[in-house]
Amino acid sequence: MALDKKAYEALEEIVGPENISEEPVILDGYAFQQHHGTEQAYGGLFCPRPEAVILPETTDEIQTIVRVCNRYKLKVKPHSTGWGFWAAPSSEGIIQLDLRRMNRILEIDEENMYAVVEPYVISSQLQAEAMKRGLNCHIIGAGGSCSILASTTSMVGYGLSGISTGFGGRNLLGAEWVSPLGEALKLGSLGSGAGWFCGDGPGPSLRGILRGFIGAAGGFGIFTKVAVKLYPWPGPPEMPIQGVTPNYYSPLPENIRDYTVTFSGSWDSFADAWYKISEAEIGYVMGKQISAFGSKTAVAQFLTLSNPDLDNDDIPELLESPDVRELTEELTGPTFQLTIAAHSSSDLEYQTKALEKILEETGGKIHPLFADPGMEELMHVMMIKVDRNNLIFDAAGRFGTSFGIFSIPDTLVGVAKAGEEVKRRHIEKGGLMDDGGESTWGGPYERGRIGGHLEELFQYDPHDPKSWQAAWNYLMDAALTVATKGWPPGLSLLPALALSEEKRAPFFAVAGEVIDLLRWQGRIKRAFDPNIVSDPGHYITVKEAEGK
Amino acid sequence: MALEDYKADMERCSRCSYCKWVPLAQVKSLRFAQVCPSIWENNFHSYSAGGRLTAALSLLEGRVDYSDKLLEIIYKCQMGGACDVSCKVARHLEPYQSMLELRAKAVEDGQLLPQHIPVIDGLRKEDNMLQKLKADRGKWAEGLDVKNITKEKAEVYYHAGCRYSFDEDLWPISRGAVNLLKRAGVDVGIAGKDEVCCGGRAYEMGYQSELTKYAESTADMLKIAGAKILVTSCADCYSAFKVLYPKVGINLGVKVMHITEYLNELIKDGRIRFSKSLPMTITYHDPCHLGRLADPWIAWEGVEKKVLNQLIVHEPKKVWRRGANGVYEPPREILNSIPGLKLVEMQRIKEYAWCCGAGGGVKEAYPDFAIRTALERIEEAKSTGAEAMVTACPWCERNFKDAIKPSGDGLKIYDILELVQQAI
Repeated sequence: MALDKKAYEALEEIVGPENISEEPVILDGYAFQQHHGTEQAYGGLFCPRPEAVILPETTDEIQTIVRVCNRYKLKVKPHSTGWGFWAAPSSEGIIQLDLRRMNRILEIDEENMYAVVEPYVISSQLQAEAMKRGLNCHIIGAGGSCSILASTTSMVGYGLSGISTGFGGRNLLGAEWVSPLGEALKLGSLGSGAGWFCGDGPGPSLRGILRGFIGAAGGFGIFTKVAVKLYPWPGPPEMPIQGVTPNYYSPLPENIRDYTVTFSGSWDSFADAWYKISEAEIGYVMGKQISAFGSKTAVAQFLTLSNPDLDNDDIPELLESPDVRELTEELTGPTFQLTIAAHSSSDLEYQTKALEKILEETGGKIHPLFADPGMEELMHVMMIKVDRNNLIFDAAGRFGTSFGIFSIPDTLVGVAKAGEEVKRRHIEKGGLMDDGGESTWGGPYERGRIGGHLEELFQYDPHDPKSWQAAWNYLMDAALTVATKGWPPGLSLLPALALSEEKRAPFFAVAGEVIDLLRWQGRIKRAFDPNIVSDPGHYITVKEAEGK
Repeated sequence: MALEDYKADMERCSRCSYCKWVPLAQVKSLRFAQVCPSIWENNFHSYSAGGRLTAALSLLEGRVDYSDKLLEIIYKCQMGGACDVSCKVARHLEPYQSMLELRAKAVEDGQLLPQHIPVIDGLRKEDNMLQKLKADRGKWAEGLDVKNITKEKAEVYYHAGCRYSFDEDLWPISRGAVNLLKRAGVDVGIAGKDEVCCGGRAYEMGYQSELTKYAESTADMLKIAGAKILVTSCADCYSAFKVLYPKVGINLGVKVMHITEYLNELIKDGRIRFSKSLPMTITYHDPCHLGRLADPWIAWEGVEKKVLNQLIVHEPKKVWRRGANGVYEPPREILNSIPGLKLVEMQRIKEYAWCCGAGGGVKEAYPDFAIRTALERIEEAKSTGAEAMVTACPWCERNFKDAIKPSGDGLKIYDILELVQQAI
């Protein structure tokens, strides 16, 4: 569909000709979004092209854009850093808002420990500025290149520092939100003129509505500013980075320790340790990171990271080495990384002693490879700065995630086992990379008080349509397993949202809870978005948005 | 390799936007975290390396055809290669090589950027990139008592390059380089008016065959002259000799050194000694072509294959160039050896340094963009508290000086050779 000339002119008048485009080659830059959802929903590597891309700079401009779209019956799809198919349009008739010109940190309140940011501030930037003040922010698993605003408002929001820095959605304090009708709403304490410090008031708290648990993925208005919580950082104001690209490392200060803990294959011990670490209130970063690269391949891949002479091409040979086999065997299954960052010498003593006792009680062991100082310093950067999680795309070209259940450790152990079992069946068919089967990623939030999550990662090649079909076959099997087991849908909901009604029917047939969720979300959305101006396609689908 | 050979890279791009930022481990502030001038200036995603991979994929798949906008996307980029460094922190992709091939395809398909046409015409006619007369090429060296390598044998061939040969403001630097070499007792010669362009910049603009022509010409000249070492003060030329010539299979038969590498050795050997103190706080700008784009070429010819169902490996093993092996330390060692100088670093340095703005045909086609890019670097230099920014490339120096002059800014711009001369 061609964009109405008058509509384009109205939009152009808001931002100026240099900040809007309907050139096909520009539009394709926004239609290309890596994700297994893209491949299945749209039959290739491109989502639908937006009708135009617009680059607003202020909340006022966004309000005007949304009103123009209401007038001309256009839809809007905003993105901040824009990573994942949900950042792209789901159909024709959509104006893409790229918010990259809104890139300021508006405030860092050291005393009250929060920062106010615009959409295009990435986590790495906020972290760098926060660390100068003895503070740190939560960084989601997707890594430091992601918008801090999007990861608190719009898409899930878990990172491995969750044990001490919370969960994306719960770190959201005040928010400025342009509704699908073009109103600028101020939420939380901001709504009563009391500042940004509290998401639940005094003032209107709509945190549950505006994002729910997964996030509205840009399908429900546009967030223009948010306040996010900051947390104490006992490390240096600037982490000293050494080494040669790509293997940057950072020496550990006296008060920071990194551990990779294994449990001789016992998931029960893994869960016990998780509970005990939560009860002891120790740890700065905790979660399954290394083994998420594959129980079979992770050790070899990390060896290539720590040695500039090695590369992915060396992985097959490394896997044949008896030493690597032994190290791999020790890392298989239940493992996690734990960073202790202490605020005093007595705190350090307490945390290290508590960990020693927990390991003694649960049979946990420190993995020898990752206790090596060189590897420890490499991991230290990865765990604190979350600078290389994109590595998960590297081995096969792309990765996907499944299960993604949010619960308590005992349930999550079941999730990990089920994930491995289902994935192994699909690995045998050849389309997925043989990573060994077990490659769960995740960890606890808020000292484990609100549980945590594990998601089963898988790797495939987007260059090979047979491989992305295999990925999808696995995903649907995984989603059905989640529904059949009666687990909450978690991330398994995401791929289904991309599908046509016909394609997702088998999944929805067993997922009554999911359908209820979508119905509720549809009701809420209709109340705020009667003209369906916010592209609902990667959120609840058009059908639910229309209430049909 | 042709553009089509990088199609898998285009499809495997994770759209993570790492290419827009310095390596995330190296982010030190909100202000100086971006690394790609093209996306910084133009904002639409297509102006990033990832966006160009998508544009190339769209072109190859027939989703888009050539247009003025596509040409702007292709050419409004300095080809500084910082995107490639940041991408390769986590991925095994070749965004920089893909972008070079996208330009080459555009030229091959007759899709020329109008602003580049007179530059290339000038190159073909006069053997230089500055649209000057070939006959004037040797003027920079008039009055210098130095061997002409086309007539006499010399151990070291000093290659001035187009910018140093024709930019009169910079002649004291190229003349100073020769004098320094002579003072240290080096048996040095130049080619004067017979010197030709390295062809590197034309190659980066998509005119790849020009490079081969000049590479063969220079190789022939050096063979006759019997030189053992080629020394140049131009980072662009250095990168062409060190990386692009081996890439197209031409061996100059000499050791290629940047003047900073050579001088550093002379200083360490005691053949150049400093007698004056320069009490000044300076910062150093890593030229792209002396840094990440000087990472020596590693030839690879082979195939991609899969193991463990989908794990991508190469046969034979592919060694990846990630910008780690550029010339980073010699200039710093020289600066640190000059009495009185205090070197303070900017936030974006070495393999993730911000570009000066002049490269890739941008200064020729989009001069305003080139200046804005330089001004961004000047801001970063000023944030260190330095009185001067030092560089080691005439294109960088020219662009910084062009940017700073109208602004009336007090920051001084030096080539490293100027400081060496002052301290002697």
